[in-house]
Amino acid sequence: MIVIKGIGWITLTEYGSIIKKLQGNYNDLKSLHSHLQHESVLKSAIKNFGRFDTASKMTCCSIALALNDAGITYSEHMKHDVGILGTNNDGCFESNLAYFKDYVSCGRTIARGNLFIYTLPSTPLAEAAIYFGCRGPLLYIKFQQNQIPSMLRYAGKMILRGETSKMIAVEASEKKAVCFVLGNKDNTSTMKSLSLEDVVDTIEKTSDFDEMLIQSTPYPQGEN
Amino acid sequence: MTGTKAVVVACDIVTPYGWGIDSCWNGLLSKKTAIGRLDRFPTKSFLTQNAAVVPGLTYGQNESIVIKMLKPLLQKNISSIPEDAFLILATTTGEIDKLERHVLNKSTDAASSHPDKLLEKISLLCRINSHGIVVSAACASSSIAIAQAAGIIVSNENDCVMVVACDSVSEFVFAGFSSLMALDKDMAKPFDRDRNGLSLGEASGFLLLMSESRALRENRPIIGKIAGWGLTNDANHMTGPSRDGSGLAMAVRKALKSANISEKDIGCFSAHGTGTIYNDSMEIKALRAVFGNHKIPVYSIKGGTGHTLGAAGLLEIIIAFESLNKKIVPPTVNLCNVDNEASGWVSSEPLIFDASVTISTNSGFGGVNCAVVLKK
Repeated sequence: MIVIKGIGWITLTEYGSIIKKLQGNYNDLKSLHSHLQHESVLKSAIKNFGRFDTASKMTCCSIALALNDAGITYSEHMKHDVGILGTNNDGCFESNLAYFKDYVSCGRTIARGNLFIYTLPSTPLAEAAIYFGCRGPLLYIKFQQNQIPSMLRYAGKMILRGETSKMIAVEASEKKAVCFVLGNKDNTSTMKSLSLEDVVDTIEKTSDFDEMLIQSTPYPQGEN
Repeated sequence: MTGTKAVVVACDIVTPYGWGIDSCWNGLLSKKTAIGRLDRFPTKSFLTQNAAVVPGLTYGQNESIVIKMLKPLLQKNISSIPEDAFLILATTTGEIDKLERHVLNKSTDAASSHPDKLLEKISLLCRINSHGIVVSAACASSSIAIAQAAGIIVSNENDCVMVVACDSVSEFVFAGFSSLMALDKDMAKPFDRDRNGLSLGEASGFLLLMSESRALRENRPIIGKIAGWGLTNDANHMTGPSRDGSGLAMAVRKALKSANISEKDIGCFSAHGTGTIYNDSMEIKALRAVFGNHKIPVYSIKGGTGHTLGAAGLLEIIIAFESLNKKIVPPTVNLCNVDNEASGWVSSEPLIFDASVTISTNSGFGGVNCAVVLKK
């Protein structure tokens, strides 16, 4: 049985996690990065965080919150068979525009490599894989409808197919991010987890991000 | 896993060698490269002026290059595509030339470059009813898409999946790879001691997968089976591969395990083989880690076709099936002086082999690795 072991989320001004009921405000992503280290949600500074594009910063911080919510420790030096599946509405559209406008403004002679690397929708996931030491499958999927439920169901199926033992499923844009840690139910664990289908049902009943978080907070049939 | 098997029942490609699988296969066997002088946009300030493009396509007009490749290809094959197939599009940049035109002269809407718009167009071209998904995982996009398609079939979620892959040579991508110093000034020379980077290429293609039972029921020709796959990430560096090849080796081992075979069953190996110093070296280390002293024939098609990015995996899997069915290992085009590390693995000449299993791998930015086991 596939369960959700942790959920982390970020809006433009707030962040939190569902199982540990963590919630707080922040001013900008740089301060959030520092704050999450101070709170030991992030185990160390994320290397090169300052040069990441916004989607990558949102992705990494939401994953840190979700892993902390799940009680999972990590290190870039201690790699794990954990996969990452990402989705969002716009892929890397804003990064594509920023890169090509910059190139054109330079007279179409020199492109900036540091902008170019963010012109793949899988790049934020790869930044996260490096920091969190995730060695499982890594892919971005754009679903045509019901993004988050579709992403969660897909990630669950990847575990059931034996492609990896745990999946991080993250929907991140420049304005919001929500991340889920999925795995097989561990009957020996004392950590609280949520049924995948219950979470999917809850999300499908809501239409916007804030409402979804409110709905998810009193866990739907939480399991020990 | 269930006992369901995923088989390939139809496929086609367009590559810098021209339209169709035969033109690509014969081009590779001729040992001549399709990489040549690029005249689509100004290249004077870049590392190289060479790339491999599909002949006869006009850049910068209303339709994108990938649609110019896909429309004739899919229309030609429309009778073989069932309308209930689940559609997967694999690409890295899709119709990025539309975004270019928006920035350069506002002649298009930038949002029309979204890959999901391309997915809708392909769905209409194929007359497929499903909403479908877009898979993007850098240069392993289409091999991962094919692995996922096989996963959907063997877990009985759907009995028919259509994978379409495409990427084009655009100013957007060309300038970016040049800025990363990843392009060979001349031409990609995979596994050569004088290699110094990749050459960009473009291609489009499709692979139609079915459950074996449906394929037999519909009397479909079976080209081969997707017998297993392994996906991993290096979790090491954004633009460079793990130097020790451990991420790729793990993907190959996962693929062998999922296919329930041993490395001794593999007849030959389709490498990612970009021609960059670090990629090719990493691949040989991965091969040594998995196969030890049991050297098997290894080849890369990128000296011929260029690096076709998100389409590379699909193109290479189709060529790997050709290789299996013809019992010929294609030569590695542009290979003149085999790197010491690769000695005994790669060849500039075609070779005969006798086995019913092969493997195709891809790696990409962000450390992604994918290995797919193919069986006759």
